[in-house]
Amino acid sequence: MHVEWKLFADLAEHADDRTVAVEVASGATVGEALEELLSDRPALADRVRTDGGLAGDVSVLKNGADLGGDLDDELESGDELALLPPVSGG
Amino acid sequence: MTDLALDATGLERYARHVIMDEVGPEGQKRLLDGHVVVVGAGGLGSPVVQYLAAAGVGRIGIIDDDRVERSNLQRQVIHGEGDLGRPKVESAAERVADLNPDIRVDAHETRLTAETAPDLLAGADVVVDASDNFATRYLCNDFCALEGIPLSHGAIYRFEGQATTFENDGEGPCYRCLFPDAPEPGTVPNCATTGVLGVLPGTVGTIQATEAVKYLLGVGDLLDGRLLTYDAMGLSFETVEIARNPACPVCGEDPEIESIRDVSYEGRCTVPAD
Repeated sequence: MHVEWKLFADLAEHADDRTVAVEVASGATVGEALEELLSDRPALADRVRTDGGLAGDVSVLKNGADLGGDLDDELESGDELALLPPVSGG
Repeated sequence: MTDLALDATGLERYARHVIMDEVGPEGQKRLLDGHVVVVGAGGLGSPVVQYLAAAGVGRIGIIDDDRVERSNLQRQVIHGEGDLGRPKVESAAERVADLNPDIRVDAHETRLTAETAPDLLAGADVVVDASDNFATRYLCNDFCALEGIPLSHGAIYRFEGQATTFENDGEGPCYRCLFPDAPEPGTVPNCATTGVLGVLPGTVGTIQATEAVKYLLGVGDLLDGRLLTYDAMGLSFETVEIARNPACPVCGEDPEIESIRDVSYEGRCTVPAD
């Protein structure tokens, strides 16, 4: 099934797109959809991956809500995912 | 001002507030009795300070250790050509005095640090984070979360902005619920290196001022538990729901941060390992 990632701020620049559609198996988790996204966009992977998983400054959102880091959440067709980084400018 | 009755000048100045049921003379008195501390007198702080002053927020603290540079003037509209080289808090305070002589301004030409934060922020009804770096942002968050002071957060990046409000009433989230640690230094570039659309902080700062005024009035729905994102390119707003995170290092169930003294506000703004 299709799920779409939306990317904010510097993450969109690393991915070179504000939205990226990925194909995952039915019943896939958010973490699996994230792997699809990152394998498609290596510069983004370099930005958000750390040894322990996902960098602590990147928030994963599903349907407009923060998942609190729970990447095991199962996806349904049409779900919208997003990666949101903090920004500091003022 | 402690008397509910506004004098003739006050009635004239605040007539468009007082006439509304949602504000009225009582609401205007709440604004006049209000104390807001604005951290940063730059792009975000410019609209925040001016709108709070115009609205009649009686006491406004302004914290900034920078001086006005010509490259600021494309967006920092509280300062002008004649202010080049002056402390930002000085020109901001002058602008406030010109806008509204009712306002008491506490101008602090200093940097907010873990040492200065208790003196500079304690006693505020609302703190507005209009700063330009993660160290100050995490410090504002931690201090306000621990002390229960409402915090308006706004931040900008090139053509995008984020704004949210943490009421810090023990129920809603804080900034670390969403972003537990600051990015690795150098990961997220600042305005000086990436540039920023000049009008962008005007939009985001005006939202922050709106939230501070609404909080003081006790009206409307704040952005508590919601992060508003703004994309100036697509001219679109989106709202992200933020829940309180049980694993949050400040307001979670077993918080690692019990005092701002626990945290090293450099790098990733974490508690140093023993």
